[in-house]
Amino acid sequence: METKDASISRRSLLRGAALAAVMVPLGVSLASCAAPGGGSGGGAGGGTKSADNPFGVAANSKVDAVIFDGGYGVDYVENSGKILAANKKLDGVTVKVSSSTKIAQELQPRFVGGNPPDLIDNSGANSIGWNTILDQLEELDEVLDSNNLEGTKISDTLYGGVKDPGTFDGKFKALNYVMTVYGLWYSSSLFEANGFQVPKSWEDLPALGEAAKAKGKFLFLWGKEAATYYQTLVIDSAVIQSGDDVRLPLENLDPKAWSHPTLQSILKILYDLIQAGYMKPGGAGTQFTQAQSQWSLDQAALLYPSGSWIENEMKKQTAPDFKMMGIPELPLDGKQTTPAGFMRAEAGEPFIVPTKAKNPAGGKELLRTMLSKESATWFAKNKLAPTIVKGTVPEDGFGSTALQSQSKMLDAAGDNVFTIKSTNLYGMNSDQLPIWNTFLAGGMTVEEITKQLQALVDKVKNDSSVTKIEIK
Amino acid sequence: MSLSSPGLDSALDTAAVTAARAGRRKAPRLGRRRLTFDYVSFLLVFLGLPLVIFLVFVISPFIQAVYYSMTNWTGFSPNMQFVGLQNFVKLFQDPTFLQAMGNNILLAVVVPLITIVIALIFASMITVGGPSHGNVRGLKGSSFYRVVSFFPYVIPAIVIAILWAMIYSPTGLLNGALGVLGIDNKQWAWLGEQSTAMGATIFVIVWSMVGFYMILFIAAIKGIPGETLEAARIDGAGRFRTVTSIVLPQIRDNVQTAYVYLGIMALDAFVYMAGLNSTGGPSNSTLVMSQYLFRTAFEKGQFGLATAMGVVLAIITLLFAALVIGVFRLIGGKDEGGRS
Repeated sequence: METKDASISRRSLLRGAALAAVMVPLGVSLASCAAPGGGSGGGAGGGTKSADNPFGVAANSKVDAVIFDGGYGVDYVENSGKILAANKKLDGVTVKVSSSTKIAQELQPRFVGGNPPDLIDNSGANSIGWNTILDQLEELDEVLDSNNLEGTKISDTLYGGVKDPGTFDGKFKALNYVMTVYGLWYSSSLFEANGFQVPKSWEDLPALGEAAKAKGKFLFLWGKEAATYYQTLVIDSAVIQSGDDVRLPLENLDPKAWSHPTLQSILKILYDLIQAGYMKPGGAGTQFTQAQSQWSLDQAALLYPSGSWIENEMKKQTAPDFKMMGIPELPLDGKQTTPAGFMRAEAGEPFIVPTKAKNPAGGKELLRTMLSKESATWFAKNKLAPTIVKGTVPEDGFGSTALQSQSKMLDAAGDNVFTIKSTNLYGMNSDQLPIWNTFLAGGMTVEEITKQLQALVDKVKNDSSVTKIEIK
Repeated sequence: MSLSSPGLDSALDTAAVTAARAGRRKAPRLGRRRLTFDYVSFLLVFLGLPLVIFLVFVISPFIQAVYYSMTNWTGFSPNMQFVGLQNFVKLFQDPTFLQAMGNNILLAVVVPLITIVIALIFASMITVGGPSHGNVRGLKGSSFYRVVSFFPYVIPAIVIAILWAMIYSPTGLLNGALGVLGIDNKQWAWLGEQSTAMGATIFVIVWSMVGFYMILFIAAIKGIPGETLEAARIDGAGRFRTVTSIVLPQIRDNVQTAYVYLGIMALDAFVYMAGLNSTGGPSNSTLVMSQYLFRTAFEKGQFGLATAMGVVLAIITLLFAALVIGVFRLIGGKDEGGRS
């Protein structure tokens, strides 16, 4: 680097000023070209609505779908797209499915430019935060009110509570397609071989931890990107114990949300478990799938809290004799105030239809096709996970014990299911991760973690630029 | 600039002709120059075009960014409101952002310092650290070391980061090697403990950068005339004295450049951090501004606030470069004007 020229002479200063004077207005005008300028798209002329074409998809139109390429891939939408294209009652409608692993990054310019796709699976770690796009989305009630391809009204074919995760401020804007059960997962063969007792409440865990220790195993383990699975476990367990008393303050960012006695008692037990050495140390430095394989392959720990995607995720890294089973997350003690079987089960993989898309009717038609019995069964069979459509998983769970226990849990719960939305709604997960990593490593007391988690809640609550959504 | 360019030649011709015709002593000025096709096309191609490209692709995004940083844009809608400096006020009240900024500043101070010291030591060994008889030369086998130490620089940063994340994991290579040496550290999570996370991260960045800067310094040292070094030796200077008193002052410009580049890299550090500790490390101990920016924009949908972070990062980078150049000027002393 040449230092000699660094000094600024009077002349170069003047020259610079003149240049800046020319540049600024030019730059501003350029900026205004590239800035978001609204978009015109939207509601392209539709065809006529009929019983076989309830949303009036125009003949020979194209449906542009962008699907998150995660644990479930994109082939299930492609499959539905083929069924749609072959549907003789529609006139030459075709479907283009694109995959994406970074939904927010890739679709941000299309939303700003007023040219979003017709159907989006807004999922994954890089999904679009709900509170930023809600007012640009179609309401999807008419999809559930229509008949599926087999002629049954779609809303009659679904599990209970499937509208909840996609309902914001009373408006149903995202259709979550895959049924996800949150629970504690274990190997029933390992439990039988060692005489471990499946726990019924948090009060059973210390004894189970001791039994595990006697066999040289741990009770729990975690990985650094998935430390907040334990937050999910703690919150869900508290809701199972005390119901809306815990859930609503958390969801609506109450200043005392984390101080609820049930949450505190559960955190205290978890803290004691960590201090007693029942949590496998080092998780904060271990990649999460690596940690999970220590559970499913090495069987170094007995229990792992997760959503039901865990079976599919660890398929290739599961010990051959690992008979994976799940139980709902645990109440604090025997005195839970909610009905038996109450559990967190929510539809995941939220599909949305932007209002400004070129062919929103086509997006809805593709959703209707996906909700037909044929498409839903194809999904359950190939992905070993139930969709929100009931009765697509046979008794034997296509040979999967985890899928069997999922169906069992869902049947036992019936309509008694709940979901937790605020974490994703306000994008809090990555701020919570370092806190949970420290807590699980034993570096934080219950008082400290309560204070820090509450501080995050308060920060969102007090930030006037964040749109709040009331959750009921 | 090369004089062989036809455009330039004709421009010079034109200037000469104009001056001759005018028959005055005054230097020709732009305004009076005859606007021949040659001259105008030369200006357009060699001045106008690059300037337009620069304005469109460099300056205008800057200005846009400054504007967005003063709005509440969510990133996914065409609507936004002007909120003035509110985002900046919010940033400087946000403890997480201040922590990230602190981490960045720590990196910008420590990483260049360690990297340059190590690179200089290696470069000196390879060029002037050899036997004290005969020509001034490096250690035996120095060309081999030179190639080997360049290896890490050839590997993309993200690969390095993922590689080291595996090495550092509790059951990884590092703990395994320590175990072989008889040190049992109970599967220490190097990146998972607050006491070691930042240190381990800095080590990786330094490890990946040393090779390149060593090569840079070797090239600079080779530019020093051998006679100077020999004269120093005849005057009785040892190897250490030769390096500090002869070599260092002669390659000061290179060291300064290296310092600025490394500092800018450390102020960003996104790739290394994303690979080593994508979550920001225990208690955010390795969180950097660029990571927090990314998170704020795409997870929380606060593009206005995120852009404000970008503006702050840009200002810090500029200040850093100015500071480094200033400091080097200060320690450069009086011999500044004598060279180049």
